[in-house]
Amino acid sequence: MRRSRALPPRIRSALRPASARCYRHCKKPVSAWTLATSLPGLWQVYACPGGAVSVTSYAHWSPVDPTPAVRAYLRRHTWPGSLVTLRDLRVATRHGPELGRSVERFLARGRPRRAVRVVYWRVYPFRARNGSEQRLFVCQRHGRSRPVFFPSLATSDRWDCPVCTGRVSAPPRRVR
Amino acid sequence: MTRPRAARRPQRLTIVLADWCPHCVPLSELHGRRLARLLGIPLRRLDIDRRAQERVADRLVREHGDASPDYLIPQVFVEFDDGTVQHILTGFSEEVARTARAWRDLLASDWLRSIRREAGR
Repeated sequence: MRRSRALPPRIRSALRPASARCYRHCKKPVSAWTLATSLPGLWQVYACPGGAVSVTSYAHWSPVDPTPAVRAYLRRHTWPGSLVTLRDLRVATRHGPELGRSVERFLARGRPRRAVRVVYWRVYPFRARNGSEQRLFVCQRHGRSRPVFFPSLATSDRWDCPVCTGRVSAPPRRVR
Repeated sequence: MTRPRAARRPQRLTIVLADWCPHCVPLSELHGRRLARLLGIPLRRLDIDRRAQERVADRLVREHGDASPDYLIPQVFVEFDDGTVQHILTGFSEEVARTARAWRDLLASDWLRSIRREAGR
């Protein structure tokens, strides 16, 4: 791989969940949607067919905590940006033994040895000021480099997207 | 004179968890007990909903684990007799089944095999 923090395919494969279901929404299987960004790691958004986001993860092969970069990116792609809080960003280190023997041995051969760092963004359903229960949704219709994250009623679908409905303009396109 | 690092022995396994967390109870507690048994060491449970235990857990996570304002659980640590602490597992936020797989992989890992060999088990 050209960049030291990019994730080799065997690590990407080892990180994937098997059969995640929509979290606290419809219980349907979620799909992993890969984002295209200027960051070298792997961005995955786990969302149901209705656009409800269970969790977003960014993983890179580096001891550096990617939380600041992840937060900055998410704030650019979320309306309102204040929805992205440090409290909802949680880091995890994957050392190797918990990823299967193949990846364990692969990571052990690295010089210097580096773990995989993952940042999860999970926004739990919350009550808006008007008392309605809201949760995080994502609109994928603007391309893999321009996701739009937004809160909406727990029962709504992605048609509530603030960009699709003209309330805000689309985020700038950023490619590798 | 300190013992060479290669000869250090595991002394205790600690799991930071909460009773309401499906990744933690019973999943990680059961696997953690098995891991502790394989290593011949006691298992310590730090429940983040009990204030005294939470303080110990916070410090352990802050100094050796995956620290965030609202950090992920479970987090699992091995404490060695030379004072070192090794963080070995954090739960997978994607799904409980992924955390379960991580435990299975950990229990079948080269790491565990080498630790047991060094400890003479």
